[in-house]
Amino acid sequence: MSGDAAPLALPLSRLSTGACEATTLYRELQKPLLRYLVCLGLSSDEAQDVVQDAFLILHRHLASGGSQENIRGWLFRVAHNQARNRQNRYDRNFAAASDVEMDAVSHEATPERAVLEKEKFQQLGKAIRLLTASERECLLLRASGLRYREIGEVLGIATSTVSDIVDRAIKKLAEKCNV
Amino acid sequence: MCDFSGKLIAWLDHELPPEEAAEVERHLADCSECRSGVDAYKRVSCEFDAYCDAAIASNSRRGVPRWAPVVLGAGAAAALVALFLAMPQTRVESPAFHRPQTVAAASPVIVTNVMPASVSPAEKVHRRQAVTPASIRNANAAPVQSQDANVLPDEPMIQIAIPADEMFPPGAVPEGMHFVADLSIAADGSAERLRLRPRLAGFERSTTQP
Repeated sequence: MSGDAAPLALPLSRLSTGACEATTLYRELQKPLLRYLVCLGLSSDEAQDVVQDAFLILHRHLASGGSQENIRGWLFRVAHNQARNRQNRYDRNFAAASDVEMDAVSHEATPERAVLEKEKFQQLGKAIRLLTASERECLLLRASGLRYREIGEVLGIATSTVSDIVDRAIKKLAEKCNV
Repeated sequence: MCDFSGKLIAWLDHELPPEEAAEVERHLADCSECRSGVDAYKRVSCEFDAYCDAAIASNSRRGVPRWAPVVLGAGAAAALVALFLAMPQTRVESPAFHRPQTVAAASPVIVTNVMPASVSPAEKVHRRQAVTPASIRNANAAPVQSQDANVLPDEPMIQIAIPADEMFPPGAVPEGMHFVADLSIAADGSAERLRLRPRLAGFERSTTQP
């Protein structure tokens, strides 16, 4: 029976380190994840739920001795899949963000500058709406600081494909926005 | 279109192998078209980033439902009611103290009603009603007042009726609700304790208007 003791002790010690790691990661990654999910088209509440779920899954993953490599990419992938499950119509939504008042960006600007900025954002919003879902997702993940390799893991595509998609998407936006 | 144009964004993102990156850098030194391309891609990336921030800020504003203030207001009111209901036990159990009438009377601002602890509830009501001035009149309807009778404090006190819309945004508090602030005054004339109580009806707005 003494042979049983070691396997039992192992998950417990891992659980505590896992909890600690998950807490640190939560502090670091909660905001980028929320931003990604909201920009994908989830409501704030849905995004919060997805982030909570993702960290719960991470906690279980670490506690059960799961791989600790590239946790950031792993979390984004879990969150991305959760978002897909929850919000099967999320594609329509990132663009919907462009319909909202973009005055959040213009707090410190003069009125003229605020108007210009608003127009610029509206134009960018239109251009973003014209992107394909994978182009938007790649750009969002890139804006969240993920490397092409990580983006590929999240979306289940090759790194070289990510590179092509990002290249195409940025060029489309630059062209549409006359940047 | 320059041959390098397909590598510029990957170069910006530090995604090229070192040899290719060095090649792009050498090329950029000579090619103004690619340099302006890189500038444009940088700008559009920054704008995309700012757009995401604006979208999330805007979403969180939209995320607050219109009825949230009402719920919050109702929650605050419920908390105050709970607090108020919890108060009698603690107040009754605490040893009553008598403030010398002269001290209370010296207070320049308020009408005082100093009551010995032995006064019966009915008498307290009577006294309290008798001394409440019209200008800061008690906003309570009579039934509520009688419930309060046995928990009246023993220190000088004034009551101020406060319209709910003075404290909460319009619509945050149910129609007809207002608040009564019981202000206890210390011996030196300073405010000693403020108790806020929600009331649902019987408030005449005109009485508090100057």
